[in-house]
Amino acid sequence: MAEEKKTTTAKKAVPKKTAAKKTTAKKAPAKKVAAKTTETKTVKKKAAAKTVTFRVKRGERWQEYDVAYDASTTVLSGLEQIKGDQDGSLTFRRSCRASICGSCGMKINDRSRLACKTKIKDMIEGMDHRNYQGRDVISIAPQGNQPVIKDLVVDITQLFNKVEAEEPYIKEGPERVEAKDKTAYEQVNAVSNCIMCGLCYSDCTELEVNDNFHGPAALAKAFRFVADPREGQKTDRLKKLSEKGGIWDCVRCGMCVDACPKGVAPMEAIGKLRHRAIEAGITNNRGAKHAIVFKDDIRNGGLLNEPMMLIKTTGLFGAIEQIPNALHLAKKGKVPSFFPEKIEGLDEVKRMFKVLEETELDVETKVLDEGPGAG
Amino acid sequence: MRQHDIVIVGAGLAGLRAAFEGITAGLDTAVLTKVHPLRSHSCAAQGGVNAAINPNDNWEDHAYDTVKGADWLGDEDAIEIMCEEAPQAVLDLDTMGAPFSREDDGTLAQRPFGGQSYARTAYAADRTGHAMLHTLWEQAIKLGTHIYQEWQMLHILKDPNTGRCAGVVAYDIATGKVETILAKTVLIATGGYGRIYASNTNAMINTGDGVALALKAGAHAADLEFVQFHPTGLRNSGILISEGVRGEGAYLIGADGKRFMQKYAPNKLELASRDVVSRAETMEIMNGNGKNGAIFLDVRHLGRDIILERLPQIRQLSIDFEGVDPINEPIPVRPTCHYTMGGIRTNKLGETYVPGLFAAGEAACVSVHGANRLGANSLLETIVYGKVTGKEMVRQIQEGTTREFPTYNREDVLIVERKIAELKARSSEDGYRQADLREDLTQAMQEHVGVFREEKSLKKGLKKILDIKEKYKKLYIDDKSENFNTDLLTALELGNLIALAEGTVRSALAREESRGAHSREEFTTRDDKKWMKHSIVKWNHATDEAEVDYEPVRQLGKERYKPVERTY
Repeated sequence: MAEEKKTTTAKKAVPKKTAAKKTTAKKAPAKKVAAKTTETKTVKKKAAAKTVTFRVKRGERWQEYDVAYDASTTVLSGLEQIKGDQDGSLTFRRSCRASICGSCGMKINDRSRLACKTKIKDMIEGMDHRNYQGRDVISIAPQGNQPVIKDLVVDITQLFNKVEAEEPYIKEGPERVEAKDKTAYEQVNAVSNCIMCGLCYSDCTELEVNDNFHGPAALAKAFRFVADPREGQKTDRLKKLSEKGGIWDCVRCGMCVDACPKGVAPMEAIGKLRHRAIEAGITNNRGAKHAIVFKDDIRNGGLLNEPMMLIKTTGLFGAIEQIPNALHLAKKGKVPSFFPEKIEGLDEVKRMFKVLEETELDVETKVLDEGPGAG
Repeated sequence: MRQHDIVIVGAGLAGLRAAFEGITAGLDTAVLTKVHPLRSHSCAAQGGVNAAINPNDNWEDHAYDTVKGADWLGDEDAIEIMCEEAPQAVLDLDTMGAPFSREDDGTLAQRPFGGQSYARTAYAADRTGHAMLHTLWEQAIKLGTHIYQEWQMLHILKDPNTGRCAGVVAYDIATGKVETILAKTVLIATGGYGRIYASNTNAMINTGDGVALALKAGAHAADLEFVQFHPTGLRNSGILISEGVRGEGAYLIGADGKRFMQKYAPNKLELASRDVVSRAETMEIMNGNGKNGAIFLDVRHLGRDIILERLPQIRQLSIDFEGVDPINEPIPVRPTCHYTMGGIRTNKLGETYVPGLFAAGEAACVSVHGANRLGANSLLETIVYGKVTGKEMVRQIQEGTTREFPTYNREDVLIVERKIAELKARSSEDGYRQADLREDLTQAMQEHVGVFREEKSLKKGLKKILDIKEKYKKLYIDDKSENFNTDLLTALELGNLIALAEGTVRSALAREESRGAHSREEFTTRDDKKWMKHSIVKWNHATDEAEVDYEPVRQLGKERYKPVERTY
């Protein structure tokens, strides 16, 4: 069992200063009992560890640390190495190290990821590779869209206030039904994988410009209740979700789907909420109107009538507000026609609509093929 | 002055379940947690929760399975409460909205689990704890629970006149302020201390703070030597692969590709209880049938569809942390420290030896698990004992002698403040880094207090731990700041781990028999005449040492519970 001897160098950081004295216990060879019980620490490959530089954002400055890694070292264990051996003041949240508690979300090479789920090797060998002055480098910064408390720790109050504002619990009411089969819960199962790590919130492009947006995590949570057969206030929830800051404020950029470490796909959940809201007749808002007019324009002519769409979506006064923008566009010669021509092959578009209407689009029971976490 | 009728420390399943009782009874109830509630380690529980819900099942069988699983060290009164209350406790969660997995007709699905005579484990795919924790958190929001979030308990206050628990001294992590929170009753629900081992399935926050502080406050700890090694931790990271995988039919195979459990548990095979399977794996690895210190968990024969539907998280963990897709390859696993059966000693209602101080969940030793916990009985303990203990705290406040807030000694708070100041002031000159001491401690436990134990090695382990305890007095930290000082917090947590490691190794050394998870190489059989008793650890403040004493098992004298040889 020679391979079970601890090769501490593979795990330890390359200390910048001499580490404090080690006790002799560390150097003890694998003893009889240890060999028998096979519980010596992480079994390491004999391959020599490589070194990567972590550039960590600490307030306004970036601090560099060298970290030793092998094929299985995660960014979180790299940060632990730094905190343990080099700089105990480096501050970050962490707990389960198995991507289920949601503590260690941060920006790693500019995208929001869980440090425990991100392997150093993948950051160096993958598309996200960063090279800085000839060295392998990984940049690490706190999550976006939230105030920073210290180093990689952000204030999660805003994120959770928004989740809590969705009244995230089953409510009594007339719309409660008893589930007759297990498929009734498939939608709930798909979104209840959420671990509230905030990665979607951190990468959300709408939140960058709109503080009032509920954000992907809160809306996915809201969907979890709208989709639950036991929920008694589904329509009431959909009404509130259709107000400003809600489901219609999402710009469908897809960043949340990409960022989510558990395959929740919040944008998909938002899409399903929109579909359900329109089906429930909650259409007296700009978002729903825009979607309906968009669909009708395409069906009727294959092209959008943009000026009319603006008026139909925002009303006459809303459209008047947009006159400065229109003039600006006009100056650049970009005036959309009030009377767009119908496209060639409109028949084909109509056939597509017919097929879609006849084959009911399954937005209700779609469950990810590869299971949670595949994303 | 901050004060509440009930203060609950820990926001995992047991804590939140108890809070539900406090608030619905109309009492001022606050929950204090060093992380956000959803970060609590309950979220990592995978396999499920046992309850005799099916009409063909019955709770007495569940109780018997548990008494046997506990190797007759469990307290029968508490086990009966847990198993009888189980169906209602699970249905409570279902009513609250927990997304449990369903049968085709929409009723709760249940799967087989190790050591159970019936398929009575309800589950939510392979993330049952996560589903239950989020549901109880939703209820906490609905009820407007006061949560001290990212506050760390540093001391348990006692009334100097009566000895009653008077509240806690806590540290607001964001500001670095030390605050006093008075309470009529306090519940410790801070989870286990599996972090005393180098290889474990536990979260980094599982440092046994509540157990250690209760011990220092005069409560007793029990059965600390009974540490569960889970048979299937991932080889490299120790990350948990649920017993539910074997419940779904997975095989354990050696490097030779053959199943081996028929040699150790001819009837239950892979679904024997955890101590049995962990010992079997260790024997196989010792006899050369392992590879790189691991044996293998094989699910390939279940087929892609079942793996994707019922074990999606397991598959992802194997891919992420071991680089193995279980659809195509067996998963390398090994016995890994998973659960601490020991904890703060309580009676069947969750009361400790300190009046007004209660404990529930993994932090407690009620004891429903005795010498070995059965899979899916821990989630059950949290929701039944969260409820039972919560109700008892409410009852004592509403009817009992605890209507007034106890007084406390202001000097206790100053001691905590001085301890922090002293730690920050200590220089690195001639001092020790906490990472080094933590590594030494956890390696010593791993090496000397593992699956198999023997006297010489245990004594060596104890010596190492006492040496680390001395060095801890010279531990220094880098971060001297006030706000969000995690360097300081983990240093304080390490102090708790050292105390519990000492209690564990002393209890293990004293117990000269093999029972449940405790296997002594020189004493290979169970000795009911001498050792059918709980090890009790008390803290001696004069010597600053853990002392071991004993207490009888609470038996009901039923014919069915008579100890027999334990085979699977």
